[in-house]
Amino acid sequence: MKAIRLASHSMRMMKRYKLRTSFMMLGSFIGVAALTFVVSAGQSAERKVLEMVTQMFGDSGIVIRVGGGEDVGGPRGAGTRLKIDDIAAIAKEVPGIEDWDPMQTLTTSIRHGDATDNAQIFGESERWQQVWNRSASRGDSFDETAVASLARVAIVGPTVAKELFGNDDPVGADIQIGAVPFKVIGVLESWGTDPHGMDRDNEVIVPITTLMHRLAHEDTISGAKLLLKDPASSDAIKVQIRKILRERHGLSPGQPDGLTIITPTEVRRMVGKVQRVMFVYLPLVAAIALLVGGIVSATLMLASVNERVAEIGLRRAIGARAEDIRLQFLMETAITIVAGGLGGITVGFLVALFSAKQMHLGNVDPWMAALLGIVASAVVGVIAGVLPAVRAARLQPAEALR
Amino acid sequence: MIELQNIGKTYQRPSGEPVEALIDVSLQIERGEFVAIVGTSGSGKSTLMNIIGLLDLPSRGRYFLGGQDVTTLDGNRQAEMRNKKIGFVFQSFHLLPRTTALENVELPLLYSDRKSIRDMSRRALEAVNLADRIRHRPSELSGGQQQRVAIARALVNEPDLLLADEPTGNLDRQSALEVVSMFQSLNRAGRTIVLITHDREIASYAGRIVKLERGSKASDDRVTETRVVMQEAQ
Repeated sequence: MKAIRLASHSMRMMKRYKLRTSFMMLGSFIGVAALTFVVSAGQSAERKVLEMVTQMFGDSGIVIRVGGGEDVGGPRGAGTRLKIDDIAAIAKEVPGIEDWDPMQTLTTSIRHGDATDNAQIFGESERWQQVWNRSASRGDSFDETAVASLARVAIVGPTVAKELFGNDDPVGADIQIGAVPFKVIGVLESWGTDPHGMDRDNEVIVPITTLMHRLAHEDTISGAKLLLKDPASSDAIKVQIRKILRERHGLSPGQPDGLTIITPTEVRRMVGKVQRVMFVYLPLVAAIALLVGGIVSATLMLASVNERVAEIGLRRAIGARAEDIRLQFLMETAITIVAGGLGGITVGFLVALFSAKQMHLGNVDPWMAALLGIVASAVVGVIAGVLPAVRAARLQPAEALR
Repeated sequence: MIELQNIGKTYQRPSGEPVEALIDVSLQIERGEFVAIVGTSGSGKSTLMNIIGLLDLPSRGRYFLGGQDVTTLDGNRQAEMRNKKIGFVFQSFHLLPRTTALENVELPLLYSDRKSIRDMSRRALEAVNLADRIRHRPSELSGGQQQRVAIARALVNEPDLLLADEPTGNLDRQSALEVVSMFQSLNRAGRTIVLITHDREIASYAGRIVKLERGSKASDDRVTETRVVMQEAQ
């Protein structure tokens, strides 16, 4: 009864000092909003990255790419004239390769009537669906004969279809890729936007031979993906691939081969890097925001204790025990900070939701962030509240009244 | 009711140098008395008031309040004694700002086990003739009215002892006389009152005047002819 009475009295007092109360709320509000935003947006970005990485590499594939480092395209070395035959030879000589798909790309414009679109064209073998784990959502793919005969058939991505045909069915229609006429035989399943912001639906797949000889006019490929029977053997297989390719390209020891070979081990390392950023550095930044918010709240609370020394003295004089004073200040801080924290969770989550939508990051799951936010604001509340409360209660009544 | 035995109080200056605020003060106050404690500033009268009001502990000596040795009580029991047995009136009123008269008067009851807080507070305000001001904030009241709110707050828990520290110090003459007159009628109704003041005239309305000088009791006189506040002064 007495406790409830004191609590409701505290609430009334806090309402009378709206400015002070709202500044104290602001501290935890900003910190918790930052934490909630970073955690929920980070989570959904991470999920998206993992999804894309899985789509690109799977967990049992080796990707060979012409070019220097893993992420930065360096100058082409002498041995980079990678050919379909090179990959075919690897598939024949190295045991444990289940399937493979060579690849060459080109960015060019596509036309249908007056409509145009700039898209990335992928030349691939008839095995692209199994190897890349992607398929045509409508229509058909092409077969071995089409690849052998340099057939001018194309499977367009949903964005390309929308740009060129609006809501009409593109299957069976004629388009021009560059200056070459093609027939649309299918529409790709949607993959959305990748972590680099590339629209993976703004792509077209054509037979690799057609792309090499009719569009790009070159006899090399830019890469390939190999599916392994046993992913555990990927590192050993990588060594064998390097050896075969160096032999075939006639490279002397020490000469760079200009190739990047990405195994599931390396994919896991990349994913680990992404996770470190998402789960360590970003929350660290948010934690600093939270800490600053907590310090601001605690400082304001301490200032308020100083300003209210006479009030504390009076309360002590008329019969408040030290623990009543302690409880009052603890309650005031806890209430403001938890209220600020709840506001921060709401706003942080809404901002995360909005930015996830803007960046095509997919769903945002608020529960983890909300839980963290509540725990964090409670911890800040207790820490920021205990200090001023203890200080307030330690004052002797006579000394506080002076 | 109040018995101080050889009370001494030593303060530490921030420089570490000790200051003797009270030296060997013994004083006995009976139930129903109206005692004025007078002295110049620095005479130790505020220190004495803090000790009588259990707001501070003496360095030496013993203090019995209502027959009980209160120097040995712990902080919580002292708070309870202040709440139940003592009502305080201060020079600067010490009302909570932005808080209505009624809520200010309720404050001591919040820390007690009393029920029907509202009714008791309203009756206390009626007793100091402020029934029409219960919703007013301190900033909307005159000094005299604010001090009457403070008196209502001091009386709301029906304490045995009313302790007033320079209650007229911040008031004009007429409000001061009103307060003194109020103390006199409370005293007639049986309340024990201890009034600390440096104002000789205000002190002359009490029944007994104790004078402090440099921390010691200099005189202790019964007033044979107690002054009554003149009607024309009100």
